[in-house]
Amino acid sequence: MKRFRRQFIFGLLALIAATVGALWLNAKYNALPNYAYLTGWALLAGMFVLTIYNVRKKLPFLPLGKSETWLQIHIYLGFFTTLLFLIHLNFRLPHGWFEAVLAWLFVLVSGSGFVGLFFSRVLPRRLATRGGEVIFEKIPALCHALKTEAETLALGSEAKSVVIAEFYTKRLAVFFSGPKNFWNHLAESRREVSGLLAELEDLRRFASEIEKEKISKLAALVRQKDGLDYHRALQLALRLWLFVHIPLTYGLLIFTALHIILVFGFSGGAR
Amino acid sequence: MPAAPTILERPQRWDAAFDANMTDADVERLLATAPFSGMAAEKFPKRTPLREILRNDARILKFRKGEIIMRQGDYGTSAFLILQGAARVVLKPDLPPSLLGRQATNKKGVFRTLAQLWNRSRPPEMLPRTLLGQSSGVSARQNEKETRVFLQDVPRILDQHRTAQMIAGEFFGEIAALSRMARTSTIFADSDDAELLEIRWQGLRDLMKYDDALRTHINKIYRERALASYLRATPLFKNLSKEQLDRVAEAVEFSTFGDYDWSGEYKRLAQSGSVRPEKEPVIVGEGDYPNGIVLLRAGFARVSQKFGGGERTLNYIGAGQIFGLNEIAHNWRNKESPVNFQFSLRAIGYTHLLVVPTRVMEEIVLPSLLKNELPPLVEKTEDDFDSAAPQTRAREKVGAEILEFLTENRFFNGTASMVIDLDRCTRCDDCVRACASTHDNNPRFLRHGPSAGRLMIANACMHCADPVCMIGCPTGAIHRESFAGQVVINPTTCIGCKSCFTNCPYDAIRMVEARDERGEFLMDQEMKSIAKATKCDLCVENHGGPACERACPHGALERMNLNNLDALSKWLKL
Repeated sequence: MKRFRRQFIFGLLALIAATVGALWLNAKYNALPNYAYLTGWALLAGMFVLTIYNVRKKLPFLPLGKSETWLQIHIYLGFFTTLLFLIHLNFRLPHGWFEAVLAWLFVLVSGSGFVGLFFSRVLPRRLATRGGEVIFEKIPALCHALKTEAETLALGSEAKSVVIAEFYTKRLAVFFSGPKNFWNHLAESRREVSGLLAELEDLRRFASEIEKEKISKLAALVRQKDGLDYHRALQLALRLWLFVHIPLTYGLLIFTALHIILVFGFSGGAR
Repeated sequence: MPAAPTILERPQRWDAAFDANMTDADVERLLATAPFSGMAAEKFPKRTPLREILRNDARILKFRKGEIIMRQGDYGTSAFLILQGAARVVLKPDLPPSLLGRQATNKKGVFRTLAQLWNRSRPPEMLPRTLLGQSSGVSARQNEKETRVFLQDVPRILDQHRTAQMIAGEFFGEIAALSRMARTSTIFADSDDAELLEIRWQGLRDLMKYDDALRTHINKIYRERALASYLRATPLFKNLSKEQLDRVAEAVEFSTFGDYDWSGEYKRLAQSGSVRPEKEPVIVGEGDYPNGIVLLRAGFARVSQKFGGGERTLNYIGAGQIFGLNEIAHNWRNKESPVNFQFSLRAIGYTHLLVVPTRVMEEIVLPSLLKNELPPLVEKTEDDFDSAAPQTRAREKVGAEILEFLTENRFFNGTASMVIDLDRCTRCDDCVRACASTHDNNPRFLRHGPSAGRLMIANACMHCADPVCMIGCPTGAIHRESFAGQVVINPTTCIGCKSCFTNCPYDAIRMVEARDERGEFLMDQEMKSIAKATKCDLCVENHGGPACERACPHGALERMNLNNLDALSKWLKL
C-alpha cells in the first residue's frame, strides 16, 4: 500500500478507535467526583504533546525523528484533543468571560490548525499545476521588474501611443502597483485578470500595427504578473495561517496555566 | 535590421594549451627522452602530430622533496611521467586525512550537538580560529601559478609507512586519468630536483592510439591492476573459475567516449538549450551487429531508440551496468533468428567502458550462467521496447517527461540529489531553516532549481557519482568523506581558488567570504577578502542523516540516488 495512504488509513483508524474509546469512557465514568480533573489533565497532556512539535521544529539538528512523523501525530492528536476539549466542557457552553476566552482560544487554535491542514493538502498541488515556481521572497523584486518593463512600454519616451498610455494609467498602473486579487487567486477565480486582458484586447480596435505589438507584449506582462500574484497569494496563505495558529497557541497556554491555578486555588468550588 | 554576426575563428582543440609556456626547446628535449624518443612520429596523423601533442597536452612540473604530486582519493585528468629525480608512492598504511589536506569527519558528540542551540547567533560564514590554521603535518607553498602542499616530516612518513620509490622513466596516474576513477595512491616528490611531465588525458589517449608500445604497456598495467578485480566483482562473471576469468580479462577491450571535461561544455550547451542525444557520441548504434556486451566502468550512457526524426531516451545507465546482454544471449540461444542491437547507446559527458567480445561471451560467460540468470529472449515487435530489456523500462517507471528531464539535465549523476515533490511541498522553508541551524546559521542549499511536472531538483550538492568538482582542487580540500561517500570541503585547506565552484555543472557550490568572530570579513595582506567554497555536506557530522530531509513535515523532500529509478518511481507513486 502506498505510504501516504497507509499513513492516512492508520491515523484515521487510530483516531476512530480513540474517539470511540473516549466516548465510551466518558459515558461510563463521567459521574465520578473528580472527573473534570481527569479530563483536564488528559487535555493538558494532549496540548503539551501538540505544543512540543514546535520545539522539535526549532531543534532540527537533534536526532528527534522525522518532522513528518511528528506532524502526523500532531494532526491526529489535534483532532482527538478537540474531542477531549468537548468532553472536558461536558458538551456545554463555557461559563463566564474567562472560560469563554479560554474556549475561544482553543477553538481558534484548532480551527486555524484545520485550515492549515486543508491549505497544506490543497494549495501545493495547485501551485505545481500552475507552474512557474518562484521563491516567495523574490516575488516583490520580480513584480517591480515587470512594472518597470510595462511602464517603459506604455509610458516611456519611445511609447508614443495615447491609447496605450491612457489605458495603462487608468487600468494597468494599479494592477502593476502591487499584489492583486488575493482572494480571487485563493478561490481559483480568474475573473479579474480575464476582464483586464479582455479590455486590453479591445484596444486593438484603435491600435496601429506597432501598437498591437505593444498590446501583445503588455498582455504577456499582465499574465506574468498574474502568475506572480497567484504564487504570492497561495504561498502567503500557506504561511499566514501559522501566524494565527502559533501566537494563539501561546495565548492558550497562558490562559490554560491561569485556568489550572484558578481551579486549584478555588478547587473547593470547582464543579 | 538584424545585427551583423560576430565572426571569429572556429575554436580548435589546442586553442588553450595545457601550459602556454611550453617552449620548442622543451618539446625537443621531450622528443629525445624515452618513451617519446622511441615513438614513430610518422604514425601520428597530420592533425595530431606527436610534437603538437607534447606541446599542447603536456606540461613540465618541478617538485621539491615532500611536495604532494597526487593524493589518494583525488580525481585527476592527467598522468605523470618522471623525467628527472624521483617520486615515492605510499603503499600501506594510507596517509591520514590531515596529511592529505582533508578533515577526518567526526560525528558531533552530545555537547557539540547541544552547543548548536547557542551557536546560532554567530555571524554568517564565521570561520573559527581553530579552523584557520593548516593541520599539522602538512604545509602549503604558493608560487605565481599554483599552490603546492608538502609533507613536513618525510622521514617520519618513511618510518611509519611502507613506500616505494619511482625513478625517471616511470609512468603513474594513467589508469585513474583514463578510467576517471579516484587515484588509488598518494605520491610525493622524493628529491628536490624532481621533474615530471604531466600529460592530460586527451594527449595520453592519442599517444596510446598511435603508439603500440605505450598502448600495450598501459593496457598491461590496466589488466593487471584494475581489470581482474573489477571483473571478479561483476555479478555476470560470478560463476567463472580463475582461469576462465583470466581468459575473459585477456579478451576485454576498453575504450573511452565523449569529453572528459564535460562539465564546462555541458554548462554551455545547457544554457543554449542544445543538449540533444543526436549530438552525443554513439557507442553502439541501433541495428548494429552485437559484437560484444558493454560494461560501463565509469560515467554514464543514454539508451535511446529512433523515434520519428530523432531519438527518444529509454533509460540511462551508469557505472557497473551492462548493455547488450539481451541480444547476445538471444543470439546464442536462437542461432537461426539472430537479432541486432535493439537500441542505441550514447556517451553522456564522459564514458569509460569495457567490451567483452561476443565470442568470449558465447564460449565462456553464457554457458556459466544458470537458466534463470539468462535474460529473456528479445521479442522483435514493432515499437515494443519494454519487452526487450528490463533496463529500458525506466520510461514506464517514471514517465517520459521526467526521464527526459533527468537525462537532459544529467541529474542521474547525483547519489544524494535533493528531490522535492511540488505537489506536497508547502514552500514552508523548514528544510532551509534546518540546514541553517545545522551549519552555524548558514544554509547550504537553495530551495529552488529546475523542475518538470511535480518534480524539482533543488540547487543542493548531489554528491555525484562522477564528481567533476573534485578535479583540479590544488589542496585536496574537496574530497570524498569515505570511499564513494559524501563529497565534503575542508574549510581549513580550501584556498578559495573557485576550481570546484567553476567545475560543478549543477551550480551547487557557492563561494562565500569568511568572517571572524566579530562578523568582520577576513582579509589577506593585500586586503582581499578570504573566500571559501561551501556546499551541502549531507550533515555528515550530525546524527540522524540530512537535516533537510528530516525537517520536511510533509514528506515532500528526499535525498535520492537518481541513478536508481526504482526508488524515484516508488517515491513518486506514494
